[in-house]
Amino acid sequence: MENIYTSYENNGGKRVLDKSELEEILRVAQRGSDFAEVFMERTESTRIGCEARQIERVISGREQGAGIRAVHGENTAYGYTNALDKESLLRLADQVGRAAQAGEVSPVALQRRESPVDLPVARRPDATPVEDKVALVREAEEAARRQDEKLLRQVTVGYADTIQQVTIANTEGVYVEDERVRCRMSVNAVAAEGTVIQTGYDSVGGTRGEELFDGEKPADLGRQAARRALLMLKARRAPAGRMAVVLSGEAGGTMVHEACGHGLEADLAQKNLSVYSGKKGAQVASELVTVVDDGTLPGRFGSFRFDDEGNPAQKTVLIDQGILTGYMHDHITAARDGVAPTGNGRRQSFQHRPIPRMSTTYLAPGETPPEEIIRETKSGLLVRHMGGGQVNTINGDFVFDVPEGYLIENGEVTAPVRGATLTGNGPDVLKQIDLVGKDFGFSLGICGKEGQGVPVSDAQPTIRIPSLVVGGIIEDDIVEEGEGD
Amino acid sequence: MTGRDLVNAVVDEARRSGAEASEAYFERSEDVTIEVRDGAMENLKVAQESGVGIRILRSGCLGFAYTSDRSWTALREAVDAALANARVASSDPFNNLPKPPAAYAGMNLGDPRLKEIPLEDKIELARRIERSGRAYDPRIQITEQAAYEESHYQVSIANSLGVSASDEGSFCGGGASLVAGADGEQQSGFGIQYTRNYAELDPEAIGREAAFKAVRLLGARRLPTKRAAVVFDPYVVTNFLAVLSSALTAEAAQKGRSLFAGKVGERVAAAGVTVIDDGALPGGLMSAPFDGEGVPSRRTILIQDGKLTGFLQNSYTGAKDGLASTGNASRGSYKSTPELGSTNFYLAPGELTQEQIIRQTDEGIYLTDVMGMHTVNPISGDFSVGAAGIWIEHGELTTPVRGMVIAGNMLELLEGIDAVGSDLRFFIGKGAPTVRVARLTISGQ
Repeated sequence: MENIYTSYENNGGKRVLDKSELEEILRVAQRGSDFAEVFMERTESTRIGCEARQIERVISGREQGAGIRAVHGENTAYGYTNALDKESLLRLADQVGRAAQAGEVSPVALQRRESPVDLPVARRPDATPVEDKVALVREAEEAARRQDEKLLRQVTVGYADTIQQVTIANTEGVYVEDERVRCRMSVNAVAAEGTVIQTGYDSVGGTRGEELFDGEKPADLGRQAARRALLMLKARRAPAGRMAVVLSGEAGGTMVHEACGHGLEADLAQKNLSVYSGKKGAQVASELVTVVDDGTLPGRFGSFRFDDEGNPAQKTVLIDQGILTGYMHDHITAARDGVAPTGNGRRQSFQHRPIPRMSTTYLAPGETPPEEIIRETKSGLLVRHMGGGQVNTINGDFVFDVPEGYLIENGEVTAPVRGATLTGNGPDVLKQIDLVGKDFGFSLGICGKEGQGVPVSDAQPTIRIPSLVVGGIIEDDIVEEGEGD
Repeated sequence: MTGRDLVNAVVDEARRSGAEASEAYFERSEDVTIEVRDGAMENLKVAQESGVGIRILRSGCLGFAYTSDRSWTALREAVDAALANARVASSDPFNNLPKPPAAYAGMNLGDPRLKEIPLEDKIELARRIERSGRAYDPRIQITEQAAYEESHYQVSIANSLGVSASDEGSFCGGGASLVAGADGEQQSGFGIQYTRNYAELDPEAIGREAAFKAVRLLGARRLPTKRAAVVFDPYVVTNFLAVLSSALTAEAAQKGRSLFAGKVGERVAAAGVTVIDDGALPGGLMSAPFDGEGVPSRRTILIQDGKLTGFLQNSYTGAKDGLASTGNASRGSYKSTPELGSTNFYLAPGELTQEQIIRQTDEGIYLTDVMGMHTVNPISGDFSVGAAGIWIEHGELTTPVRGMVIAGNMLELLEGIDAVGSDLRFFIGKGAPTVRVARLTISGQ
């Protein structure tokens, strides 16, 4: 790939930066501190929003900028600007360098790096006419509407593609040029009958081009979202209290991401802000549990060739048959622990310093057929689609909502239930898991941490947690509602 | 070129390119963030950012494009992209741009001396936040975050109907998140203060609040499931107000996405509940002379003494409802189209102190933290959130509780409010006093 700035006119039409100019900027930023880095980015994106049968928003944008970082001991200085000319960046490098450490300037020699990870793009979003993208959105919208013209009150479709071109260089000689292409679509359906209003959601995303939407994918999304909303109209309110919970493989790995993944990010663990701090080598989960973070999986939303510090994506085993084997590291946390970085130093954009983040995190499949897990559960809740979650990494407490849940009665899946939330504690859940299926399902999202959103995926097989608190409405309310209807 | 000149030049260029109506929005910001840990500066961030967002109308179709590159070539490309996007968007007769107002109110929205205060003083301020929190109780052992932040911004907007406006200002703030530990258990608490005026910052109060909140949750446990009173801390109320504020936009109502749709003039909350949005609130963090479309900011009462009086409007939703914009067009940044959003959005205070409300509660929970607010269904109003706080028995705070779940419906909650405190407090754009709801399901064991 050619240098991304050579073909582009900067603010004021000033010239672009080559490798030797980057070396000069790094020297100024470092000034005797341990480490300095330049991250330059140019991102082009398209977003389309459809609601009330209207293509309401068609947005295209270009954003460019650079972030410069200097690290000395435990002190990090970070600065960013939209101005990409050499003078502006030298000024910023000087400001950042002074803040971290004033000292001698030493030479830097940059070496271009390659990644073993291949993420091919068949059809580039920037070579696809916006009319075609609008047609995909329409396809999803109409497929959803066709599920039930009467009860579906609203269908919202969102489409987004981004092409992010980055150049990363640091005082350890790392020089990386990379391009990340991602596409995503989501459908939200609202169904209403009488006074009951319910929603259904589905999404698809990948580090891929427009081929992500091949094979009627948008229509599938529309149908799934509409089906969920319509199903929940008929659902009864979820029961409240402690019960066995079976998470279906189809539900994806949101639980492992939230309840365990965040606590294994090394920055939190090193600062004693994680329930997994200092637990390397310890039994932290049932021996049925193996947890992996893998940024190399082909085409997944959380995959990448290089992280945002220029380290190649890799597969990292975090928990091996219940034993904690490692954490996810960025440059700073790896140096602090005296280990190699794991390719988890990620940032939302040039406006942010990189921190340890997940890529695709999963609980590895086991041996039990998923049907058998349900058959062996006398009563409980089956979660077939997971909603959003939140976790307090300090004590491990989490909350999730369950947009598609069912009762399990005498080993059989019975009535759908709505309004359930799962409340529990991450370490406790990992120890409790007593059945692990041989199936495997993915989900995806934008994960937020310290105000930065990055694309992630997660996966898991069907698992059983013998006892979780399900939040709902206690019995007298169900009776009241039944009478009201 | 000043921001005002730039946006006017872009509108002229759009007109030459064939746009029937156009608008340009320019934004520039400079931020400083300082984070300290264990008495030393850990992170310093300096940032400058700017960009232009261009909105174009063509036969009722809306197109938008943005760029962070202010070169003339990039701006012209963005105009072309916005025109091309308008070609594939649906036509909507209510798409419109506002006309210029008679005048904008003058506002004093910044601290002119903020940039002159030395960085060292601001670092020391962050250190004081941490020190006061750590000194509050020996069980405060870890600093998750102790930070100072400031932001300077400048905004210009112009449209082809003659709107041409500029605004600038600044704000600063401090925050701490501290962790208390005892008997192998850890709990965290936070303190926060944002202001337009540096001299008003009270670092010791921020640190002490974070420490106090962390320590009081130590030893928390789960209690059996119960129906009981819930006394909401002002911060927790603002979490619920965030959900209310989107349900109270005309967009949500028009699209059937609001639990308040079709209820103007009806009772939607208990008597004594008044909800206000005030974009012109003196000293408000979200105050500005005009909104994201150049419409003057104002005060709008949404719920008055329990009765729904209206919705937040921008030019589009206002045209659809046959009403004026309430000045609530909001932009996340130059990269977003103006949508609808609240400004300084608050629940008006009542008469009682928090202490009086707790003393008048026989049994219930004083709710200090909620988790999973994103699970609240904005359409049905159903919610089920993780809860932590202090149990109340016979008017006294007793044992801390956590891992509980509070479930119900937003409308039931609003109708169930039976006490509103006098202690109105703002957390950036949302403000609330202590509030009590007579009876909710609190699930535990």
